[in-house]
Order: sequence, then C-alpha cells, then structure tokens
Amino acid sequence: MSHWTPELLSPAGSLEKLKVAVLYGADAVYLGGQKFGLRQASDNFTYEELAEGVEFAHSRGVLVYVVLNSFLHDKDLLELPEFLTLLVDLKIDAVIVSDLGVIETVLSLTDLVVHLSTQASCLNIESAKLWQQMGVKRIVLGREVTIQEARKIKEATRLEIEMFVHGSMCMSFSGNCVISNYTQGRDSNRGGCAHSCRFEYSLDFKNEDSMENKKAYFMSSKDLEGIRLLPEFIEAGIDSLKVEGRNKSHHYAGTISKVYSEALGHYKKHGHFLSDDMLNWESELRKVSHRDYTTGSLDVYAGVDSIYNQRVDEDNEYVVSGIVLEACVGKHLLVDVKSAFMPGDILEVMPFKTPIENLSVTFLESLSGVSLPKSKPGSVVKIPYILGAEKFNIIRKKA
Amino acid sequence: MNHSQTLVTYVRNIAELNFLAENHNPQVKIELILGTSLLSRFFDNSEHELIELLRKARQMNFSVTLEWDVLNQEDRFLKTIQLIEKLPMHDFFAIRVQDPGAVSFIKEKYPWLKIHLILENGNHNLIGLKKWSEFLGPQLDRLVLSNELSKELLADYSKALSIPIEILTFGRILLFYSPRKLLSPVEKKAVHDQTIEAFGTSEESPHSGFPLIENLHGTFMFNVKDLYLLDQLQALNEMGIHFLRVDLRFDDSFNKFSKTILELFAGTITEPEMSLRQNNPRPLIKGFYNINKSDVLFAKLKNKRTQRLDDFYIGEIVDVERDQQLALLVKSTHWDLSQLPEVKMITPEGKEKILQFTWVKSSLGESVKSVEQNDLVLVPYVNGVTVKTQVYLNPKT
Repeated sequence: MSHWTPELLSPAGSLEKLKVAVLYGADAVYLGGQKFGLRQASDNFTYEELAEGVEFAHSRGVLVYVVLNSFLHDKDLLELPEFLTLLVDLKIDAVIVSDLGVIETVLSLTDLVVHLSTQASCLNIESAKLWQQMGVKRIVLGREVTIQEARKIKEATRLEIEMFVHGSMCMSFSGNCVISNYTQGRDSNRGGCAHSCRFEYSLDFKNEDSMENKKAYFMSSKDLEGIRLLPEFIEAGIDSLKVEGRNKSHHYAGTISKVYSEALGHYKKHGHFLSDDMLNWESELRKVSHRDYTTGSLDVYAGVDSIYNQRVDEDNEYVVSGIVLEACVGKHLLVDVKSAFMPGDILEVMPFKTPIENLSVTFLESLSGVSLPKSKPGSVVKIPYILGAEKFNIIRKKA
Repeated sequence: MNHSQTLVTYVRNIAELNFLAENHNPQVKIELILGTSLLSRFFDNSEHELIELLRKARQMNFSVTLEWDVLNQEDRFLKTIQLIEKLPMHDFFAIRVQDPGAVSFIKEKYPWLKIHLILENGNHNLIGLKKWSEFLGPQLDRLVLSNELSKELLADYSKALSIPIEILTFGRILLFYSPRKLLSPVEKKAVHDQTIEAFGTSEESPHSGFPLIENLHGTFMFNVKDLYLLDQLQALNEMGIHFLRVDLRFDDSFNKFSKTILELFAGTITEPEMSLRQNNPRPLIKGFYNINKSDVLFAKLKNKRTQRLDDFYIGEIVDVERDQQLALLVKSTHWDLSQLPEVKMITPEGKEKILQFTWVKSSLGESVKSVEQNDLVLVPYVNGVTVKTQVYLNPKT
C-alpha cells in the first residue's frame, strides 16, 4: 500500500543545480529567468537553459515552476508578455507570483497555472479566499503560519497549500521589508535584497532617563528545518513542501533533496517514520552549510529561540569538494572542483538513491595525467573511480 | 494650500483631539485616523479608549477612519475580527486595511463600509491598482499608495484611476515589519507586550540610528531619515492627489509640529520646511519621489558574459592546462565535431577567441568524433582562454 505524501519542491538556482535537485529526488523544482524573480544575483536561467531544464525535469516526471515573484513596476511589466509566451511554449507547470498586476497579466494572456508566492504574505483564510477569487490555484503561505493554521486554510478554501519546510528565512513578513531600497538603493522586492537583517547592530535602548547600549544580531533568523514535523505536514494534507535556497550550493540542493526525498519515500512505503531514520536524516541535514536550525512558526509562532544571534554566518560541517562530471567505470572520476582536497584525503560520494560511500584519494591528477599536490577550485581533476558513482554525484569532505 | 486637499492624520488621545479641534481652520479638511492596540501597529489605545475618542471626534464633526493595518496569522486574525465585530463600525467613515484577509473580511461582512486600501508595500503598477479597484468596486473609497512611486508615476496613476489617492507626506518611513519580538531578548528587562524603543546602528551599513520599536505586534524598523513632501502640496494638487497623510505619532512630533502643519494646510504659512528640519530628530528626505532607480544596480550583480546566449551555444570551458589543452563541457545537445572546423569562444572578460578543432580527445586520450550533452572533451589550448569561457558555433564558418 502506498501512503500519500506531499510534493517535495526544491530550488534550482542554475541549470546544473536543477539537474542535481532532480537527480537527488525532488518532485518539482522552482527557478527564475533572468528577470522578474527575487534573486538578481543568482545565475538564473537563460531561455536556452530554461528549455533544457524543463526538458530534463519533465523527462523524469519532475514539475517545473517559474518564479515571477518580484513586485513589478509598470516598465517591468512591459517585458513580461514576451517571457510568458516562452513559458507557455515550454509547457512549464506553473508560475509563482506575488503581485496582483502580474497575476492579472498572466491570467489575461495565458492559461498558465498561478501559485501565489510567499512574498504576498498570505496568512489567513480570508486572505486565501481573496487570492482564490483573483485566480490563484495554490498558495505558498507566509512563513509565519503554523501547520495547524495551514490545515484550516486548506480545509476552508480547498486550494493547494504549499509551505516552506527547510532553508533560510526572512525575519520580516515577506514583502514587508524595504531596508535595501532605502539604505543600498537596491529594491529588495525586485531581487536586490542586501541581507541587512544579518548585520550586527549596536542597539541604544531608550530607557526613562538614560540610554543603554547593547550589540546583537537581533534581526537575523535561524534556518528552518521541518523534517521532524513531516508527520504533521502529511496529516494536515499540505500539498507541497518547499525548500528555500536558489542562491545556495550544489551540495545544499543535492543533500536537502536527497534527505527529504528519502524521508517522504519512506513514509510513502511504510506510513510512518522511525526515530533512528529521523536521527540519520537530521545528521545529514547538518552536513550542509546552515545557520542553527529552528522549526520557525511551523509548530508554534517563532519565539526568542528562533533568533540567530551570532557572527559566524553559517555552520559548515562538510564542504562540497566537487561534482562528478564523468565516471569512467573502473578507471577514474572527473571532478569539477569546488573546494580544495589532497591525495590521502577521505572524501564522501553522495549517490542519488543509495547510502553515502567513502572514497580514498589514492591519486589526484590533472586531465593530462600530471600528479597534483592539491586540487584547485575552478579546475577539473581525475581521482579514483568508486563503484556506483555517476555523473552529477556530489563529492564532499568533512570540514 | 488648496482647500481641495485633505490632511489625514492620526489621533491617539483626547488631548490631541482637543488640540486639533481648537486650532484647526474650519475651511481645512481634516480626516482623523483612530486605532486600537489590537488592530493597529502603533496605537496603544484600549478598545474603550478608541470608542471614547470616536464618540468625541464625531461630536466635533471630524471625519474618522479606523485603522486595521496589522498582519495576522489565522488564529490571531480570528481574535481581531472578534474585536471588529464589537466596534460601532457605522460611526466610522471608512476603514484602512492592508492585509488581503482584512480586505476580504470587510468586503463580505461590512459591504456598506468604505475601504481605504493600504497598498504601500509593492503595488507599483497600474494593472494591479486597476484590478484592486475593480475587485472592490464602489466600496473602495481610496488607494493609499507606496512612497516608492515617483512623482511621474503618481501623476499617471492619478490620471488613470477614478479612485482618489493618498500618500504619506511627512513622517517616519517604515522599512521592516516582523511579527517576532526582537528587542526584548536583547534588552532582557521587558515586561510582556510592553513597548520598547531603541536605535540601531551597524558597522556594515553606512547609516546609523535606525529607530526601532517592539510592541504587541512584533518589531518595526524605520529609516534613518524621515519623509518630507510638504513642500510639494501644490504639485500634488495639480496631479490630483488630494489626500495627504502626516504621521506625528513618534518622537513627540504631535506636540512639536501639529500647529505648524495645521497652519500650512490653512495657508497661513507656506514654507514650514526650515522649522521642521530644525526640530525633527532626523534629516528629511524626499525618498523616491523625484526618481526611483532602485533596479539600476542589478545589471552589475552578475557577469552576463558567463551566461549562455543563444541557439549557437555548445558549452563551457571548465579546465585550462596552459599550453596543453582546454576541457570543454558540452552543455547543449548532440554535436558532430567533424562538421565544426572551428568555434567561437567568449571569455568572462568579453574577449572573442577562435578554437580550431585540430584534435578532440576523451579523458582517456581517445579521439572523439561526436559529443553528447554533458560530455567532457579535451581540445587544443588557446591563449587567453580561462575557465567559464563560453563556447559557440562560429556562424561565419
């Protein structure tokens, strides 16, 4: 018997990351074109990459959603119809939108399915009902909403409901922060967020007759980790679980997709989770770059323990060493190096479906066969082949 | 001051109400915004105090609107609407709402109550504004627009929309709104739900002294400079923008500036800028009123030359061994290399290079005739080519 599970929706910041997310088990991916999204510094997709990415995902039964979730100005909207035509031609599965002008443009020109972005901060049943009347089919709820509230919204509207399950979080209500606009001249709601909430601030408190100064990273949020709440998501009938992180690494895209896909796959087969498995999955999630984890507002509204009051940007228990570009069976792996490693190092290869394998670097060579003392990021090297390794596997090393 | 314009301002207590009643010129149209702590971000009145203020303001013949600008998750939203249901809503001229949930609720439960729709976050296009207007129909009485809109856009919108427009003309600029309580964990002395005020400065930002407030609804950050458009009243009037909001709720501004503001709107003074600039705790700016160029830096955030461009795309150089070879990762579909005598390469710096396929090998050193997507092949070295160089068919050949 197969048990129902939500869709796992992974970020695809580039074509390569799309392939990694798909191969590591995502049911759907979301990505941005060169405009209209909220990640202007991300690689994003050219039209040609988008065509290739959609073909790659669809051929493996994976859905593709395209973000158009900037708050667009009139001049931006002028360019949208042409892009929409391309999206229709490519048969993408939905667009993710936050601005009513964009929703209206999409629905008046195409029959594309519209998902409401979390950027619109939909927080309650009445809000969901309004957006439903505006034509959206799915709502990505604000990250301030609990799973139980999401359940009520779903029951009241019968809309598809998507919630964030993992990744970085805005401290502000999404779409309600314009710090970058006024301090950096970059529109945070058109992709220019400068992450001012991650800065350390010196705070002068106004007391009755004095000022008191304290320093703190008071606006920085811990990262969301919802794996322990998967039973609650499933029980509430949440349709899609979204992983944040289009700007993040291949290691992140691969690991998070693999772990959550394995967990959901386990539930689909057995109808329950085992605590030992849960510990293993949590352990894997700690191996990607992250700030301290929190369950945010998934269970109860986020409190003091959700603030990441630290200087160190992110914990790196593991670093990604590279991506397999070629697996020459019995001979070597060609690895696109992301961070340095040396002969003698023990690396970990992450197969798509099977457990992690250790790989001893008994040789390290350039492509012309010259022995190297150390790999250099931005180069391709040969290392020993290991059984089961495939193109696009991630290779990592304990930091 | 043109008397077709209305001063829209907040009143928090009886003393402020009395001051306005005693000092305003009856020819000047004033609209008062009242609120209560459960509905409004920055009011701390109880429900009882709100009702008392409302009663007195109505006795004084002021036009009074109710502010409901908090954003609420479902469980909190339910508590909020319980309060709304207890208020004498017929006594308000209109309700000011931002949360689409609040909009939907008022539309359904109070179809006779005028809505002043707060669209200060985003909503920077006419298509969206028209859709909001169409959705709310005659119940929509006013659009409260964003301060990120330039004067040209405000003029265009005013002309294109049949609904009156309101903008903020003097007061703090809200930058950030979080439902989380962020100051009390640092201060560590706070009483539950007590309002805490602070100023924040970061070495990583060129600006200092961001005003901060934590209250019942979470944490709010404001800009280090306040908005000042009161020297633009004539221009705004010519644009057809007749509802001008002045926010005197912070920094003792009501006591310091309300008289000057009333005189300005009455036309007894024409230029209050010096007085306001001297006495306001922060510098005054026009924000994006003259021009909004907050998207111009985007082009600099990434190197367009490292992006694939068109149908002629073959792949990317992923490794360079000086004077020996380049490693080409094929990223597009099948290519018969024997049909491609040469290809064009564009380096990350934008330089064009030509590569002649005098030989193509696999990583095992075997000669390769054709390649598929995601294959890695070794090709002759070309001086000046670096990793991330993009490889294209040369249309000239």
